[in-house]
Amino acid sequence: MSRPASGGNPYVNLGVLAVVVVALCFLPVMTSPYYIRVATGIALWAGIALSWNVICGYAGYISFGHVAFFGIGAYTTAILMQPNMDWNFWATLPVAAVIAGGVAALVGWPALRLRGAYFAIATWALAEAVRELTTVLHFTGGSGGLKTPIRLDENFFFYTMLATTAIAYAFCYLLLERSRFGFQVKALRDNEVAARAQGINTNLVKIEAFVLSAVIPAVLGGINAYWITFINPDSVLNTIITDQLVVMVLVGGLGHAWGPALGATAMFLLQEQLRVSYGETTAYIIIVGALVMAIVLFLPDGLVSLGRRARRMRLVRQLLGRVRDDVAPQRAEKQTEEATQ
Amino acid sequence: MTVLAVDDLHRSFGGIRAVDGVTFAVEKAEIVGIIGPNGSGKSTLFNLLTGALKPNSGTISLFDRDITKLPSYKIARAGLGRTFQIPALFVNMTVRENLWTSAVQFDWDNARSDADAVLERLELTHVADDLASTLSGGQQRLLEMGRVLMQNPKVALLDEVAAGVHPRLRQIMLDAIRTLRDAGTTFLVIEHDMELAQDICDRIIVMDAGKIVAQGSFEEISHDPHVMEAYLGVPTSE
Repeated sequence: MSRPASGGNPYVNLGVLAVVVVALCFLPVMTSPYYIRVATGIALWAGIALSWNVICGYAGYISFGHVAFFGIGAYTTAILMQPNMDWNFWATLPVAAVIAGGVAALVGWPALRLRGAYFAIATWALAEAVRELTTVLHFTGGSGGLKTPIRLDENFFFYTMLATTAIAYAFCYLLLERSRFGFQVKALRDNEVAARAQGINTNLVKIEAFVLSAVIPAVLGGINAYWITFINPDSVLNTIITDQLVVMVLVGGLGHAWGPALGATAMFLLQEQLRVSYGETTAYIIIVGALVMAIVLFLPDGLVSLGRRARRMRLVRQLLGRVRDDVAPQRAEKQTEEATQ
Repeated sequence: MTVLAVDDLHRSFGGIRAVDGVTFAVEKAEIVGIIGPNGSGKSTLFNLLTGALKPNSGTISLFDRDITKLPSYKIARAGLGRTFQIPALFVNMTVRENLWTSAVQFDWDNARSDADAVLERLELTHVADDLASTLSGGQQRLLEMGRVLMQNPKVALLDEVAAGVHPRLRQIMLDAIRTLRDAGTTFLVIEHDMELAQDICDRIIVMDAGKIVAQGSFEEISHDPHVMEAYLGVPTSE
């Protein structure tokens, strides 16, 4: 048997992921709670950015309503943890995933027949509908929101968020780069008619990809609801969340397995640094705008392509050339010595 | 043994009858050419056969199984592979990945070795890891042919597969078609190049204005007055 696979060496890719996760596990004993909070935030954003990358980067469908699934997850956990329900936190997460996956399948079935701007508008409408529903429904707490039980343990949320995101990355890498499902998803992104001509049931594959992309933010939304102890439509169903994760994926590398993690880390740290330096400011938006323009113009494949592009840069080539020139004569001398001996 | 049977197929776009009462049958391991002027309904016929379009009326059978209303992916799984008039490649994938993708519903377990064999056969090994979008026009057509080979279909529909292809690449393609035919694959080939049609086709169907106006061997149709009218504009009565 010789099954195909893409996405580089799996041992290297998953090995690097494991090393990063293990290294991050030592963070709580090395640093202050503030940095733990920052790292938790990065893990959260890396996870939801990954989910958007699944439907947009891999399947080619631009979703502007992805925040809906994040919000559904957050509200599911918050509602089930209310005193009258009193569910265990861990038990709420699978429920959140199932509800978000169900909504994605239900909405995706008709909406994924649309393409481009039409699908984007349909998903944006979904997010607005969910937001309006949570604002008017009684059991969601309306615009007043819901409180979740307080757990003063930053490390718990850090490890939970980190583990969830790491599992999501490993799972998506194996599914989208190492399995036939990944090839089916990428085929429909590139040419749906041709994909069908290869025997691929594109309607089903699209729905499966959409469900996968909905489940991840739902679980992370649930963890987030418990972490921040209070949610309302503005905090977990704000369109700015979708905007941010779109930017993170574009900055990191659309359609690349590790692009969202890179983009989320860069953008979250930038945002945090600006907040620390200048307080709550709109400067962040301006900088993000300039950054996106620069990325689109000069680095369209995102930060993941930086190394590859850098190798092509003239200055870098010159510098590498100098290093080679410095090393080569020594090597030549050594070889001559060996030959004469 | 009849592999593909088309009976009284109709398809209109508004007031235009793109395919108008087409009926024909193709035998196993036969290479049938479909020729006709631009707009005669050849590509529409292919789209109907592969399920990309649905007919207004008529039936299509593959090995006596009615496939008229099946979605295109099920028709492909039933053994009908195709190429497109304008190459429809997976442009963000490499040449090799394009071939692998064609095997996802077929022999996936051996896709890697099968793709290597196809690459070698079509002399695409040197560009195997290049993006499909970077290939020349001729190489893109070869890659489409390669995808059909990966599917190992019972019936292959080739839409102008050799158009604009370098003579050497064209020869590679024709050799591949003949080898597959010898192994039992049936071909339906849309072609404008009469020399190629004469060279490779056992039988030729001539279409004009959505109808079949003649069919038979190349020699038979080349003297047919309907064909002369369709191609040269010479009225049948003259």
